[in-house]
Amino acid sequence: MTMDLNILSLARDLGQHASARQALIAQNVANADTPGYQARDLTPFSEVHDGTADPFTLKTSRAGHMSETGPAARFEMVSTTAFGAEAPNGNTVSVEDQMMRAADVQQSHELALGVYRKSLDILRISMGAPR
Amino acid sequence: MSDLMKTMAASSSGMAAQSARLRIVSENIANTDTPGYRRKLVPFERIAAAPGVEGVRAGRMYLDQAELTKVRDPSHPMAGADGMYDGSNVNLMIEIADAREAQRSYEANLRMFDQARKMTASVMDLLRR
Repeated sequence: MTMDLNILSLARDLGQHASARQALIAQNVANADTPGYQARDLTPFSEVHDGTADPFTLKTSRAGHMSETGPAARFEMVSTTAFGAEAPNGNTVSVEDQMMRAADVQQSHELALGVYRKSLDILRISMGAPR
Repeated sequence: MSDLMKTMAASSSGMAAQSARLRIVSENIANTDTPGYRRKLVPFERIAAAPGVEGVRAGRMYLDQAELTKVRDPSHPMAGADGMYDGSNVNLMIEIADAREAQRSYEANLRMFDQARKMTASVMDLLRR
């Protein structure tokens, strides 16, 4: 019997993408008043994930130095900001824009955890365990 | 260090920097009427709050070298021959705007911290089942 548990790894990857993105957004917010700081974000999960067997660079980095690598090592980081957010001192963080992104992150994290939880439930039911 | 812990490290460095800034602002406001007082300023600098985490800190405080305001009061002990003495160069409008910005940024950092905490809690909840 083959068990296709891709959905679990997909949910895990989405969750990792969300928390890596959350870390970047928090750094942007912390540096909201630092002169010359450029706001950064990750490329959306839908663009990173192409559905092939091993689409994630994050899998390769797991064996090695996880603690030393930032989100950039696992996902592509881009410099991005809202229109007109650049301050005269070169800072491009818009707190409102970051809040929107943070809400988006929270949503995808909830989604990932929800899918994970439901998949585990289904597995458990199929094994005949009482919920 | 997990990404969510990194989030909390970055946010807490932001909160520390913003509260240092608010302290400097309140010192300026308290000394608005002190003769010869120069307004204090604090620059924000990027630091590594933890390995791979770009946080922020309030750097070395410096004094605003703008012209001191001249106050006319011949009865003042520090008044010169022309009846004028040097006041402070604090502009209350600027200080209050600065305080408001610090408060707003502090709240944003607190929000990020809280969100990371909730995300961690929901992951932990998955384990508890």
